[in-house]
Amino acid sequence: MVSNAKELAEKRMARLMAAINLEEPDKVPLAGVGGDIVPAYAGISMYEYCYDVEKAVKATEKFIKDFPCDWPFAASVVGLDGRVFNVAFSEFPDICINLTFITGPMHDALGDKYYRYPGREISPDSSPQFIGGAFMEADEYDKLIADPVKFIAETVLPRACRNLETPRKAMAAMVRLGREISNFNALMGQIVGKMIENGYPAMALGGAYAPLDLIGDFLRGVENLLLDIRRCPEKVKAAAEALVEPIMNYALAHKSIGANLAFIPLHLNEYLSPKLYKEFYWPTLKEVIERLVKEGFKVMVFFEGKHDAHLETILELPKGWGVAYFEKTDVVKAKEVLKGHTCVMGGIPMGLIVGGTPAQIDEYVKNLLEKVKPGGGFILAPGVGTAPRETPLENIKALVEAVEKYG
Amino acid sequence: MLEEILKSIVEMEEEEAVKKAKEYLDGGGDPQKLLEVCRDAMGEVGSRFEKGEYFLSELILGGEIFRQIMEFTLPKLQSGSVKKIGKIVLGTVKEDVHNIGKDIFKVFAEASGFEVIDLGIDTPEEKFVEAVKEHKPDIVGMSCLITAGVTSMKKTVDKLKEAGLRDSVKIIIGGGRVDESVKEFAGADAWADDAAKGVRLCKQLIGVEG
Amino acid sequence: MKSPEELAKERMRRIEAAVNLEEPDRVPFSGVGGDVIAAYAGITQEEFCFDYKKAKEAIVKFNRDFPCDWTFAAGFVGVGVPPLTYAFADDPDVSATVGMAMFGTIHDITGDVCTRYPGREIESNCSPQFIGGKFMEVEEYDDLIENPVKFIAEVIIPRICRNMNTPRKAMAAMIRLGIEAEKIKSFAMEVGMELAKLGYPSIPITLGYTPLDLIGDGLRDELNLILDLRRYPDKVRKACEALVEPILKVGLALKPLGIKYAFIPLHLNEYLSPELYNEFYWPYLKEVIMGFAKEGIKSFVFFEGRHDAHLETILELPKGWGIAYFEKTDVRKAKEILKGHTCVMGGVPISLIVSGTPEKIDSYVKELLEEVKPGGGYILATSVGIAPKETPVENIKALIEAVEKYGKY
Ligand code: B12
Repeated sequence: MVSNAKELAEKRMARLMAAINLEEPDKVPLAGVGGDIVPAYAGISMYEYCYDVEKAVKATEKFIKDFPCDWPFAASVVGLDGRVFNVAFSEFPDICINLTFITGPMHDALGDKYYRYPGREISPDSSPQFIGGAFMEADEYDKLIADPVKFIAETVLPRACRNLETPRKAMAAMVRLGREISNFNALMGQIVGKMIENGYPAMALGGAYAPLDLIGDFLRGVENLLLDIRRCPEKVKAAAEALVEPIMNYALAHKSIGANLAFIPLHLNEYLSPKLYKEFYWPTLKEVIERLVKEGFKVMVFFEGKHDAHLETILELPKGWGVAYFEKTDVVKAKEVLKGHTCVMGGIPMGLIVGGTPAQIDEYVKNLLEKVKPGGGFILAPGVGTAPRETPLENIKALVEAVEKYG
Repeated sequence: MLEEILKSIVEMEEEEAVKKAKEYLDGGGDPQKLLEVCRDAMGEVGSRFEKGEYFLSELILGGEIFRQIMEFTLPKLQSGSVKKIGKIVLGTVKEDVHNIGKDIFKVFAEASGFEVIDLGIDTPEEKFVEAVKEHKPDIVGMSCLITAGVTSMKKTVDKLKEAGLRDSVKIIIGGGRVDESVKEFAGADAWADDAAKGVRLCKQLIGVEG
Repeated sequence: MKSPEELAKERMRRIEAAVNLEEPDRVPFSGVGGDVIAAYAGITQEEFCFDYKKAKEAIVKFNRDFPCDWTFAAGFVGVGVPPLTYAFADDPDVSATVGMAMFGTIHDITGDVCTRYPGREIESNCSPQFIGGKFMEVEEYDDLIENPVKFIAEVIIPRICRNMNTPRKAMAAMIRLGIEAEKIKSFAMEVGMELAKLGYPSIPITLGYTPLDLIGDGLRDELNLILDLRRYPDKVRKACEALVEPILKVGLALKPLGIKYAFIPLHLNEYLSPELYNEFYWPYLKEVIMGFAKEGIKSFVFFEGRHDAHLETILELPKGWGIAYFEKTDVRKAKEILKGHTCVMGGVPISLIVSGTPEKIDSYVKELLEEVKPGGGYILATSVGIAPKETPVENIKALIEAVEKYGKY
């Protein structure tokens, strides 16, 4: 089977890169599942997975060993999006790149109201949750526009994080946060080590995001933002524009770790009509993507929900800009639209993996691949990487085998 | 009046001393005489320190009172009218940043009539050599509070020798880390770990009665 | 040959016997350290202060070649920003990490103006310097008194640390501090493991401070403080009072690690007349010592300079309270007064090791031990643990041999 881990990793990497570069690899690359199933498979609670480094590493290792894929993208992460912190610290490249994921211990250090963690606000078996919130008033747009970093770091964070309420408390919280960053990096170091041992490519992943999402998720709350778009459209637009610079600073800071793929998960895209999307969301997102491409990055955008209404806008990007990862959008249709222009990723509904049978999965993959395989530029992946605890293991196995068979 | 000023300084009555000294000068008093009285007072503070009656806090406060009075007294003295009994080049040695002891010694040395050229802290050997060339002092004083400074002093003395300047000056070392063995090791002429004694020794070194 | 464990136990017993005012098998010897450690390993002070691996190797090499009973002085002796530790008095887990952080790497992060490091502000082969400074105005005593921790954290730290002088820079610097603290923690653990292999007992130590010294070193500068004592005695007294609690909190933050001793170096003791000492210094120092005692921690007080004038006050403490380490005070006299009450430490002028000869050292130790050995309760150490880089190694060897020769009971 496998000659050695290094060779295997190189093969997998080549497979992925071929797809990203719109070529035909030897086989359709598969991005694996992850999420709650990882700790469940190892027999540990979600709480342990989030708070116990040793157990988390063991669980991850066990999972990626037993369910091989080309890219265990979803299986390695034990934190939630820390975008607001990325912007707050965007002046400090060495720091902001360490806050892409807010882990359970980091959440404890911050005492923030954005996240809920197992064994803290929620039961030890629940998976960590992002709940967001409104920590900025509608009349504060001007401040955000004038100096987004200052406003977020000095006004928003003390509101959103109990442990940053006073400068003195903030000092201690930040030291603790630093300690947890160091622990997280040690954890990731170990996980990467295990990946390399098991023949996975070690790919440094960068990050960026759509400016409007930051306002919706971390500053105003989604509902408020949707109203703001009607009530003070110019301010919202100006605020999104003002956020491009700090987001770019954060994104480009990843150069120092040799990352050349930037991951951008989208949130608000599905909420917006094409008109609003084009006016408020897309221009600044596009700017971020284009600038990243100019700086030599490939970008991988995760289009959450149904992106069907906005698919064509992707063609405005330069050919070969990166990967469009779709959740509920029909990838067959997407592939058709984007063929020869954008690498398409996704295709497997999580519902099928959770609720289907191995035979159904086999059948589904066969049909799907027949349509999307030709011409390359396709990465097979579950619509969302996070598989629930109850996911039948034989279904994951069936997925892996089906790709082997038809890919 | 002068008697009272002397007493106030010696008894550490800061405000009193400064106020009376001002009054004395405002009332047409002789700045030269005031200077002498202040010097006597500092001499007394120093000797109480040597006897163990006073401690460093009194030396520091005494120095501070002296400094305050001199601030308005010295400008009133005609230049040249202040007779100097000798010249000292003084510095805290290389690698050592403690200045409090050196500064106390400086105040007391000045109070007893020495002109002091202060090279500051962390003074490289070459800087001492250059200062000796430039100012032609009678005495080189080195202050040393840390053990790393012990070798710095030896090196400074060696550099002075190399430059052919060693015999033109007397060398006294002071500060918390010096003793007889350090004096011998460094090749100095005298040592003192107390400012009053240090001033006394300086006078002896240049043959002035203490 | 004894196993490392046996050797460590033997050394520990020796030290503890002395602390408990008993006669051990031999006078325990606390080794020298300081600049000579880096010099002996052939590395610069800059490397010693910024490179954990090299620092560790240097420390291990030195302690292998110059054995002693207690490596108290032979570890890493950097300089830090005293107020920074106390800014975290209400956050024990943080003060515990930041308190240890006295490395050049931390200086780079804080950008503090009260220390200077080799390869940064000073030459790469100078040892790091604490230079202090005045960071608080007289008018601010009331703020200090009202809420010392808040005042230190929010007002003083931004003044001392250039990298913490705006809220955002401070946050970033604090995160870096946390990241670095983890590295220092592993450094300390690795050093501890290596020393254990060499048969050294692990004697974790926490830090105490005399309130007046904290004001002098970290806030007002010694000289200003001496004048404040006369000019604003009430304020100074109240400030000292207010600082006792944070000092104890920080010291006790390390208690969960099984700390047995609290090191308290004194600074202003020598400056003060008995009158001032008894008014501004001793009552609060005593409170700190007693606060530690209440938690089962013995104090290990370093009486810097000459403490002769205040020796008797030590007798006010309960018998067996801890260790009195003297610098320039004559230990013979101290032993005389404190016999049966306090373990005495010190005795060998560091200048003798720097500028003496092996013969002189041998005969000095012989005479010294004849006088202070009887009855136990004594730990031999150099007056200051910091030996400069030029210290002749044969003199260190001579000291070790002399203790072996004349120290047996
Ligand atoms: C106050 C102090 C400081 C202050 C200094 C403030 C300042 N601006 O000067 C601060 C906090 C900044 C400081 C820093 C450091 N210090 Co410090 N400090 C002291 C302390 C407590 C008192 C020194 C002092 O001012 N004494 C009072 C003065 C008035 O006494 P004095 O210098 O002996 O001066 C008298 C006489 O000697 C004489 N005199 C002085 N100079 C001269 C010169 C001549 C020519 C003559 C004739 C007489 C004379 O007149 C004075 C009045 O009588 C001593 C401990 C001690 N008791 O000595 C440690 C001490 C000197 N420091 C020490 C150390 C290690 C340091 C640091 C390295 C850092 C650290 N680990 O924190 C840094 C210095 C870095 C460096 N490379 O220099 C050690 C030195 C150890 C050693 N043997 O090497 C000591 C001994 C403490 C100790 N026991 O560990 N320190």
